[in-house]
This record gives sequence, C-alpha cells and structure tokens, in this order.
Amino acid sequence: MMLTLALPSKGRLRDACLQRFAAAGMPVESSADPRAYRGAIPALPGVEVAFLSAGEIARELAAGNFALGVTGEDLARESVADADKAFAFLARLGFGRADVVIAVPQSWIDVGSMADLDDVAADFRHRHGRRLRIATKYWQLTQHFLAGHGIAVYRIVESLGATEGAPATGAADLIVDITTTGSTLAANRLKVLPDGVILRSEAVLIRSRAAAVSPDGEAAIRRLVAALAGVARE
Amino acid sequence: MAEVNLLQPAEPFLDTAGEDLRRRIFITADASGADLCLRPEFTIPVCLRHIAHGNARARYAYEGTVFRQRRDEPAEFRQAGIEDLGETDRAAADARAIADCLDALARLGVAGATMTLGDQAVFEAALAALDLPAPWRRRMARAFGDLGRLKGEVARLSGEAPEPAAGDPQIARLVAARDEAGLAALVGRRMAEDGVLSAGGRTPGEIARRAIEQATLAAVRLDAAHRAALEAFLGLEAPLARAADALADCARAHGLGIGSAIAAFAARARAIPLQHASAIRYRAAFGRSLEYYTGVVFEVVQAGAGKPVAGGGRYDRLLGLLGARSEIPAVGFSIWLDRAEAAR
Repeated sequence: MMLTLALPSKGRLRDACLQRFAAAGMPVESSADPRAYRGAIPALPGVEVAFLSAGEIARELAAGNFALGVTGEDLARESVADADKAFAFLARLGFGRADVVIAVPQSWIDVGSMADLDDVAADFRHRHGRRLRIATKYWQLTQHFLAGHGIAVYRIVESLGATEGAPATGAADLIVDITTTGSTLAANRLKVLPDGVILRSEAVLIRSRAAAVSPDGEAAIRRLVAALAGVARE
Repeated sequence: MAEVNLLQPAEPFLDTAGEDLRRRIFITADASGADLCLRPEFTIPVCLRHIAHGNARARYAYEGTVFRQRRDEPAEFRQAGIEDLGETDRAAADARAIADCLDALARLGVAGATMTLGDQAVFEAALAALDLPAPWRRRMARAFGDLGRLKGEVARLSGEAPEPAAGDPQIARLVAARDEAGLAALVGRRMAEDGVLSAGGRTPGEIARRAIEQATLAAVRLDAAHRAALEAFLGLEAPLARAADALADCARAHGLGIGSAIAAFAARARAIPLQHASAIRYRAAFGRSLEYYTGVVFEVVQAGAGKPVAGGGRYDRLLGLLGARSEIPAVGFSIWLDRAEAAR
C-alpha cells in the first residue's frame, strides 16, 4: 500500500518545504505535468506526494484520507476540536513561523493583559447592550484559549480576510489573527496582549491517527522523521 | 407541561451562555443564514415563552429530548425539569425546587444520591462585607464555582503590587493626576488622528475611567486578615442542618457582617422538608460559573458516580438578559434522565 504525504501546493510554504526536504536528503520530485499535483521522493520508495492547499491538508489528515502531511501548526490545531487526538505531531520544521495572537485597539490603554480583557468582556453587555465581538478565522483556537482564561461571554465574528481592519471599522471589538512581525497589526493601531499569544506556530510534519499504515509505511515514516531531525534547525 | 420546539434560534443560547457553548451544541443555518440549533436545554425556551406571554407567575414542567456534544455520552438524551418563574418568596420557591428535584429522583428509583448546595448570594455578601474594591468583587464573583481560579485571584491580589508599566508619558501623567476627562480627551484625539472610527465598541470615556480605576487598584493589596477570612469562608463545608450555624460562626470569627444573607440562607434551609435536608451538604465554594446564577445552586450526584444526575439553581438575572423589562425571580432544576436511568 502506498503511503501518501500531503505537502503545501502553493507559495512560500511550498518552496520552504521543498528546500527543507532537499536539505534533509529527501528531495521531492514533482510530476512533469504541474497541474497533476503529484510527486515522489526517490529516497523513500513507497511514498507518494500529493500537493494540496495547506488548509486542506489538515482536514484530509483528520479524515484519515492521507497518512502524512506538512502544514502550519495553526491550521492543524484549528481544523479539529482536539488536534492531539487527530494527529501525531512528528517534527517541527523551523519555517513558516507565525504567532496566533489576541490583539486589541491601541486606544484601550487600560487593557494590558488577559485579566483586563476578562473584565472588559464581563462588563460589555451591561455597558453596550451586546457582547464583546472578536473577529477571527481561528474559532477553535480562540474558544480553547479564552475558555482557559475563564472568558466565556463574547461572540465570534467570522472573518475570512483583512481581519486586522475589523476593530477600526466597528465590525468587531478585537481580533485573533496570525502575525509574523506585528507590522500589520501596528499599522491598524492594534497591540498584542503580552499573555495573549495563543500559539507560536510553524510548519509541522503531522501524521493522521485515523489512517492505516503498513509496516513498510511505518519504516518510511521513521526514516523521514530521522532525516528531518538530522538537519539542524535554523 | 411546556411545549418547546426541537429547532430553536441559536442566538439566545450563545448570547447568554457565551461563545464557548457553540462547540457543545448542534448548530445549523436556515436559507437566510440565521443560526438555528437543536434544542440543547429547556430553560431558555421556557423563559422566552414566559416573557412573550407576559405572564406574571407560573411554574413550568418539561420533559423531552435534548442535544449536546458530550464526551463519552450520547449526544441525544432526555431531560426533565421544572422552572418556577415570578415567585417573589424566594426561600419558599428555592425549597420547593430542591424538594421537587429530590422527590423526582426518588420516584425515578435513584437511591443514595447526595445534593451539594452552594449559594452565590452568600459569597457575594461575604465579598461586600470584606469591603473589597468593586472591580475585585466583580472578578471574584465571576470566578465563583471555580476554586482554582478563585484561589489564583486571592493569591494575585495578596501578592506584591505589580510595577506600573512604563508607558506613554502623556498617558502616565494624566493617570497619575487621576484626570479622567483629560485622559478621555487624549484617547479620543489619538483615535481621530489615527483615522480610527471606533475603539472596538468602547468609548474614550469608559477606557479612561477604567485606566484610572486600575491605577488606583494597583496600589491596593488584599491584607492578611481579609485573605484569611476569604479562605476560611471558601473552606466551609457542613450538612445543610448545621450550615447556617457554621456560616454564623465563620462570620463572627472574621468579623463579617453578612447577617441578612445568613438569615435568608437559614429561612430556605428551614423550608426544606427534613427527609430531604439530610441528603444535602452545603459547600461555600460550590457554584456554577454562569453569570445569570444569583443565589442557590445545587447538583445531585449518586454515590460513586462522577457526573451529576440533576442540577439547578436560582437565576434571577436570566430573564433580564433574555429581554424581560423587569427582574423576574426564577429558580429551577433539570434531571438528566439517561444518567438517572443508568443509576437505578
């Protein structure tokens, strides 16, 4: 039985991923037809490569349609309620770094911690006749993190793009979003709460706990993990 | 018996219990995009009906299937319960709800069950008697029922005062001068300069007020006597028959003026029939962390079982949250019929 490894099909994540595999002595060869979205790793016979969008990779692995994949940890943890039950996290790959953070308007000079946010959320309906609204595409991560801080009374406004603009336009009061340098947040007059970093994400090699793997497949997974671990992380 | 549709608008549930409920219920949408859910419980639909009909006082009984995403238990199960809405004799209504709950369980054949009882009102009275600053009181009242979180708050408030963050000097000066109007004006001016339409939905005035309030609080610490009183209170546990005396002893030992809260507690305890009182244990730290509970809260667990077979309490704030114009006293309980059957 072939073992399928799902890799990101587009952009910087794809390029960094291919470089990382090559550096580990496991170069990926794409099929001649670029529209075929297929590939192979000659050093790992019995493993085929499928190129998918990074978000789809987490969902397909959760469903058990593929055994192995590389995607952002944020996407893996967002795609299912209990990511550690759905996936085994085999290796952190050192690229695609980004933080999922809680960011509030800079004008909230009284809010510098999650405890402050808890106060503001609890008081919000009483003051404004509605719940505090958080714009995000990270429903799962937001709900888990806020529940851990005892914050339950808020509403999520789904945002599929330009989340950082939501507070300034009044579409939401604060956001949960991904940031690398913080410059987009700053440009939108938002600040990250110091204890509001939900996840320090990077690309990860994950394995589906729902997909069956043959003994040969198990051996291939061990070789791949050993090879990736052998390359010093930058 | 109250008739309640299986398919319910999701908004009232999410608005009252919070966004966290979303992953524990079953949500779908109609063609217009409005969120609907499979009935996750009866209390909110019953209350909405009570408000819509403009009823003054009524008791509602219900029984039927509800849907919840639960760990290790089926998502579809049956619940039964009673909601008593509008009764202003709170002690009598509380006692009736507690007695009915235990009677119903006995009739279902559940034996050897114990009720744990807590009281949000007594805890809030203790916080008020300690004369803690209002923001601290609100924060602790919210954490009621979650002992770990509550102890964390107590430790945090008794510890070293945090270093004031070295921030913007202009803001620091206005905060130090406790100049609320000046600070609000500054926040408003900066928002305008930034071209920001809104600070989320918050106004410069409320931001300035809270910033100054926090700066004032930063210098205040919970002293040892207050801390000891709170910890003694939270450690209190007694059979219901002795609970009012235990509370009175604790109040006397720590100089807490919570006489009227204890009197209300004792009146309720006296109204509970003796054969039930022996199955009830008061735990001062016991609560349910939902903002609409205001008084007694209780849970029934069968000996050796982890999950409660019944739970309930007083929720005088819920009908207001759901749109009632005036406060409507409310108390009720709900039985997990699947667990009750398994416990037989």
